[in-house]
This record gives sequence, structure tokens and C-alpha cells, in this order.
Amino acid sequence: MENIIEIKGAKKQYGSGEAAVFALDGVDFSLAEEKICVILGPSGSGKSTLLNMIGGLDSLDAGEITVDGVPITGLGKKALTAYRKRKIGFVFQFYNLIPDLTVEENVQVVAEIAEKPLDTDEILRALDIEKYRYRFPRELSGGQQQRVAIARAMVKNPRLLLCDELTGALDSRSSRSVLRFIEKINREYGTTTLIITHNEAIAGMADTVLHIKDGKIASVEDHDRRLSADEIEL
Amino acid sequence: MKLNKRYTRSVRANLPFYIAASLLTMVTLLMFYLFYIAGTGINRFGDEFFSEGRLEDATFTTYAEITDGGILSLERKYDVRLEKERFAGVDDGQRRVRVFCPTRRIDLYRIQTGHDFSADNEILISAGYAEENDVRPGDQLTISGHTYTIAGTFLRPDYLYMVENLTDDYKNVTDFLLAYMTPDEFQRQFGGGSVNYKVIYGKDTDQAAFRRQVNEDYFMSGYLAADSNKRVTFVHEQADMFILSAWFILVIFPLLTVALVCILLGRRIRAEQKLIGTLSAMGYSKGRLMRHYSLFALIPGIAGGLLTAAAALLLAEPFGSLGLADYEPMKPAFTLPLWVAVSGVVIPSAIYYVSAMLRVRRLLREDTVRLLAGQVGSDGRSRRVLVRSKATVRRKFAVRQLVASPGRSFVVFLGIFLGAVIVAFSFSFVDSVRAVGDQAHGEFGSFEYEYVLNSLRTGRPWNGEAVLALPYEDGNGRRFTVMGLDSGTRLWNLTTTDGERADIDNGFYISTLCEAIFDLHKGDSFTFRSITTLREHTVKIDGVIRNGYHSYLLTSREKAAAVMGLDGANYNAVLSAAPLDYRSDEVTEIISDRTYETQMENMLTAMGGLIYAFMIIGMIVCIASLYATINTILSENGHNISMLKVLGYENRRINRMVLSSNHLLLLPGIALGTLAAYGIMAWYCAEFVEVESIMIPATLCPKSIVLTAVITASSYFISLLLLRRKVDRADMIAALKDERE
Repeated sequence: MENIIEIKGAKKQYGSGEAAVFALDGVDFSLAEEKICVILGPSGSGKSTLLNMIGGLDSLDAGEITVDGVPITGLGKKALTAYRKRKIGFVFQFYNLIPDLTVEENVQVVAEIAEKPLDTDEILRALDIEKYRYRFPRELSGGQQQRVAIARAMVKNPRLLLCDELTGALDSRSSRSVLRFIEKINREYGTTTLIITHNEAIAGMADTVLHIKDGKIASVEDHDRRLSADEIEL
Repeated sequence: MKLNKRYTRSVRANLPFYIAASLLTMVTLLMFYLFYIAGTGINRFGDEFFSEGRLEDATFTTYAEITDGGILSLERKYDVRLEKERFAGVDDGQRRVRVFCPTRRIDLYRIQTGHDFSADNEILISAGYAEENDVRPGDQLTISGHTYTIAGTFLRPDYLYMVENLTDDYKNVTDFLLAYMTPDEFQRQFGGGSVNYKVIYGKDTDQAAFRRQVNEDYFMSGYLAADSNKRVTFVHEQADMFILSAWFILVIFPLLTVALVCILLGRRIRAEQKLIGTLSAMGYSKGRLMRHYSLFALIPGIAGGLLTAAAALLLAEPFGSLGLADYEPMKPAFTLPLWVAVSGVVIPSAIYYVSAMLRVRRLLREDTVRLLAGQVGSDGRSRRVLVRSKATVRRKFAVRQLVASPGRSFVVFLGIFLGAVIVAFSFSFVDSVRAVGDQAHGEFGSFEYEYVLNSLRTGRPWNGEAVLALPYEDGNGRRFTVMGLDSGTRLWNLTTTDGERADIDNGFYISTLCEAIFDLHKGDSFTFRSITTLREHTVKIDGVIRNGYHSYLLTSREKAAAVMGLDGANYNAVLSAAPLDYRSDEVTEIISDRTYETQMENMLTAMGGLIYAFMIIGMIVCIASLYATINTILSENGHNISMLKVLGYENRRINRMVLSSNHLLLLPGIALGTLAAYGIMAWYCAEFVEVESIMIPATLCPKSIVLTAVITASSYFISLLLLRRKVDRADMIAALKDERE
């Protein structure tokens, strides 16, 4: 299996002088296709920065990132927008759905610009939110909203699904439900998935676990066997 | 208080909004200031100049000359000041000069440039003509074959508005001027000349008795009260028009603008609900939070007010001078009264302060948990539109943006509406003034020339149609003309507003202008009196003839002669389709329907600066109000914009999605703004019929409507263009960290 992510010597600094903070301080990392990777680390360790860099939301000060054969370091704003549109699906802790659009429309808003979108009905069915299609986000629970966010990220059939604390705002029951769908997507669509979390239990679901501390990779752990969402203790 | 440290940071963060809101407050207030300053400045100058120059109360002419003894006797008996003025008219083909022998007690001239004459070969000329024709003291001017040196230029109180004939509708300083020469030189050139009498009444003078006495003893041939003399009344009437316009502007534009800024301030405060909720939860009192946010709201009021005062001080002189275009070159002092300047700062600031205070109070009445969750004002009731529709998401999003937030849609509409009103009003003013000339052809009839003769004749003219016309007045001294025509006239328009031909042999008809000025209607009785004998007449109005240019009561020549006490065969004017060979000394005045066209074009040329200044203000209002509004829309949509960027939407597409809904407001905003402008113009024309002595037909040409739409739409798209970078600069990462519903 080929590597979908290649990161070499990634560095990112915020602030300057005495206030300078190295969010990433020479990160080298690679991830094979169709894997689930969990990135663990305390607050301020640089894990969200790493996710933003891979997602093309921010740029490195030094180093290189290649995703699916595309070297994204040094891409202009337009090219980065096109890159996000074609290859990346995002899921955030606070869902970030568009409040003026229904469930179906929040998914369609991405399908409308995607090159080869999946069928909206199929994805709504897959995430078991078909019955909420005409509801607005505020009419749903947190777990339901997060499933809509996953559906929105998945409808474009991305090469890479980036999840930032996707269960951070959910109770354990909703968290398990959401993780089941992540597992299902990875299995059915072969989507490489990168999950950032504080919750060490989720690491059991991963093929690879990355521990980050002070902007550096502290350790990399490969699992021979992934646990299912029902097996982990949340 | 630590909280106060937010002021600088918050102002810096919202600088574009504060600038746009301050600019908007300034521009609309400035419109009021400038019209007010121009009006009060002209009125003050008029009062001082009339008092200093001892303005007449009336001027009259008699068939028999009043002797010096007669003047003394009348002065004693009626407590009046009476003075004889000698004058002569000279027409050398190039220009017409009205030469005066100086008076010493009434209607005194004031030297404007140069010095008074000191020799018989020196003259003074009217300042307006000198300025228009670039004639200066020291230059030579030939009158009646004699060359004089111009010693100086002058203004006189009864000629501040230089209309050549009282029937004219606009000044003439191009080829008409007044001149003074020494009494000896006047005597040499013109002998006794023609004679006018100027009178200033005492406080308790019985004016009617005085006029009757003059008529009995000297046979009055004409009488014109100063308050019916447009050369005099125009000064205060135009100034009052400026002041009325200022108050009108104040009621419409600054109030709408202040309302718009209040709405935007309210929305910005609502956007801070999480912070307000947090501070409230931390124990900050309601009063303290209200004061904190109200102080932010003071910024556009104070900045706008101070900017307005500064701009008014700078622009008072040049703008006030634009308002002087119709007058002789008088030099009023245009100053900004302190109370107006202070009010301009205090009133908008107070309104913004109170509005912000009420908004915070209303927010604090909400559940703190809802505030912390940012849920206040987002109940989403109206979002359900098009839920099951097959329309594109972009379209559904746009429609919901529009209906789910009526307040926001209203302020966008208001910005477009305000801009369209101001721009369309400027165009409508130009179109309406031009229409005066265009419509004259139809309303006058088919004659091209009206020769007003300086003597009464009998029988029929050798060519053209006879007219008998004399001025009369109502009980309030408002003048009009009683006209007699032959019923078979083919040259004068006799079509009534009912569409029938007026039966002038058997009735009396008034013009639409007369109808408007005297508030008369078909079937009414009209009582009026002779301006010389003061004898009263009452007639019944049998109909109205469409004519917004002449204020007349029309009947047959026989009936008119009966009113005037003359013979039915008399006439003193001739209508003709072609030029007639009257000698210049036989004719007082030649009126052509083209005269109005020329006068109106002159008016437009003179007032061009004012009109274009108004149009530019309209564009600034439109751009500033839309900039402030759309800036707020983008701030409110910051989260959606960031999310759309993350999802891979290009900036162009995001702009279309978030802002395109407002395009739907463009058409109704322009259409209603244009309609409102036309309504304002119609009111303006109706209101000033008496001032202008003409019915200006409120007009807005298709070309002007198109130009209004283009200018307003351009202003709208300019404001969008200015804000395009805001989408580009949206911080994707920071916005997405924020919790949403």
C-alpha cells in the first residue's frame, strides 16, 4: 500500500522573540492509504496545527508535506482551495454546520462543488440520518449533528478524512455511535482517516497512533489489529 | 476598569464600520447644514441690505406727474416717505440698459467694486452684468452713442434678482444691465426720462387711502408692492426655500441614516452576546454593561457630528455661493450657528447611545445560557422556506438570508433606497426644469411672439391677434393678469382641463397656475381689485385652462374691457405666429415661448454645481450605507464564510452565495427610491408655485430612470467590491474554533 501522507521536517512557529512558540518542530511522518491514524497529545502539543497543515488551512515555515502525491507546501491560496475541494474532508469538534441549511442541504452544499460526489441519499442512509434530512442543525442532538458533519465531509468522497476532536463535545453513547460510522466509512469507502483526540481510548481503533509533545513526535505506535468502536472503553 | 481596555481594540477591529457609519452620519447631516447655512446666510444679508438700502414698500407710476409740493403733501398726510425716480431704457441692439438718475432716500445703491462716480463721463453698472461679461471698473461702455468710463459696480435692494421684465421667469445678466449716471448727465441725455415713484409706508399708514388719493389726484397707471415684486421677494423666498429644503432633508435623510446606523449597531451588539452573557455571569451589573456598549455607540455620532461641523465650516462658503447663483453677486457671510453644530454632535450621539443601551438591556433580559450559546436572535422560524424545494442550495441559502433576517434585509434596502432617492431627485430636478421649456409650446398655443405694447390701441392690429391685458391683485396683494381675447383666437390655447374649448364670450376662465396660486376651482367666485383704483370685481370661474406659465383670468375682449373700464375695441398686446415690425419704442416687451426654454437652461447652468453636488452626495450615501450594512452582513456570516472556505468553496463563489440575496433588493430599492424621488419633486413643485410664479411639471425621463438605476447599482457594486477582500481575509482556523448551534 502506498503512503498517502508524507511529511518531512515540518516546522511552524507562532509569535516571535521571547513569545515564540514552536507548534511544530521538525515533524517527520508518513501514513499509508486506507489506514486510520489517531494523533494523541496534550493541549498545545501541536496536533491541531499538524492537522491544519495537512488540510491546507495553514502553511509551514519549513519542511514539506505531500498528500496523495501533491506537494502542498508552497501552493497558492487558489490551489489550496482546489486541493481541499478535491481531496480533504473535515470533521470538527463543534460540527460547524451551516445553520441556515437543512441536514440534506448541508451535505448537498459540498456535493454541488465536488468533482465526483457520492449520492447524497446513500450517504445520509449510511450515516442513519436520512429521517432528519429536512431538519435544521439546531433541531438535532450533538451526536446527530456530528453525523451530518461526517456525511458532509464524506459526500465528496475525499482521499483523506481529517477529524479534529470529533467526539470532544459528545457523551459516551453519542461518541461510540459516531465512531462506528467512522469505522464503517473507512471500511466501505477505504478513506484514510486522521483523528486528533485527547481520548486515549480511541487510539485502540487506529492502525497507527502518533504521540505528539511540544511540537515533536514523541512516539509512533503501529497496531496489528484494530479494535472496533464497540470494543473500546469510552 | 479593565473592561475599558476593550475600547481601543474593539474600535480598531471594527474600524471600517465606524468609518462608514461616521461618514454616513456626516454626509446626510452635511446636506442639512449646507442648505440651512445657505438659507440663513442669504436671509441675513437680505435683511441687512434692505434695511441699509431703504428698500421701497411699493413702486408706482401715474399719468400725471406728482409735483414736489404734491409729494410733500402726501408725505405729511399719510406718514409716508415718497421719492420720484427718473429712468430711461436704451436698446443698442447688443444690450439693453436701464439708466437711472440716483435717488437719495429710497432704494439706495451700494458700491460693490470700484468707486462712486465723480464726473459726468463716469457711470456705475450693475454688478451681475459686470461679472457675467467680465467688465471691470476703468473699462468703457457706450450708451446712446456716448462713451462712459465705468467707475464701479453696484447692487440695489429692489434688483437683487435681476429679472428684466416682471413676467420673466429667470434673471438676465447676459445682455441686460442697470446703470447710474450723474443727474446732470441724465438730464442731458434723456431729459426728464420716465418716472417711477417709490414709497415707504409709515407704521400706521392707511395704504388703501393713500393709493386712492394718488389715483384721484394723479391717475395711477401702475402699482407694484414690494411683496409682489419678484425682484425683491425672490431674495427671501429662495432663502426660505433653502431652509425648508434643509428641514425636509433633515426629516428624510439623516433620520433614515440614523435609523440605519442604530439597526447596524444593534446587530453588532447582538453579535457580542456571548461576551455580554459571560460578563453578566461574572457579575457585571446591567447598568455597567449598558454604559460600556453605549460608549461604543457614541463613536459614529461624535465622529460624524464633528466631521460634519468641520466639513460645514470648510464648505459653507463654496456651497453657500452655489446657492447665490440666481442673485446679483452679493456677498453674504455663511456661518454655522453654534447651536446647529452642537446639535449635529449631540442628537445623533444621543440616539445611538440610547439605542445601544436599549439593545443591551433587551439582551440582558434573555436567559444567560442562551446568551452564552449565542442563540439569541437566531430562532430560525423563518428559515423553513424552500425546505422541500429542488432549488440549488445556493438559491435556498440566499432566499433564507433574505427572509430569515428582515432587519438586515431592510437596512440593505434602505441603503439602496436612500441612494436612489437622492440621485433620482437630482435628475428629476433637471428634467422638470427642462420640461418647463418643452411644455411651454403646447400650453401657450401656437403663437410664437407676444408683443406687449406701451400704449392702448383701438380696433384690430394690422397683423396678429389683439389682446387686452392688465395686472390685477387679490385682497392679499397677489397679482395676476386679466386678459381679453377674441373668441375666435387660433393662436392662444383655449383648451380647458375638461378637454373642451373655453367659451370666453360667455364666461371667465383661469389658468392652472392661477388655480394653484389662488386655490380657485371651477364654479368658485373670485373677488379681485384693480391695482390702481382698488375697485373690486367678483366673477364666477367657468373653467380652467391648462397653462402653468401665466397666472391669468381669461375672458372675451369686451368683458375684460368692462372690468377695466375701457372700450371693447381696445387692445394693448398682439399675438403673432411670425415676427411683426413694431418699433422698439412701441413695445414694452416681446415674449416668445422660447423665452422660457432659454431662461430654464440659464437656470440649469447656474444651478448645475448644486445639482451635481447633490448627486455626488447621493452616491456617497449609497456607498457608505451599503458598505456599513454589507460589512455587518459579512461579519455576521464570518463563521459560514470560513466553513465554506474550508469545504473548498472559492472566494468568488462564497461572495455570490452570501451576498447574492441582496441583489434581489436592488430592483425594489431603486424602483421605490425613484418613485419617492418623483413624489418629493412633485411636492417641491407644488410647494413653490408661488415662489417661482410657474408650475414646474414634475418630470423624470426614462433616460434619467435608467441613469439612476445605473448609478445606484454601480454604488452598490462598488461597496461590494470594497468588501471583496473581507472574504479573502476570513480566518478559517479562528472562526471554526467557535462553538455553534
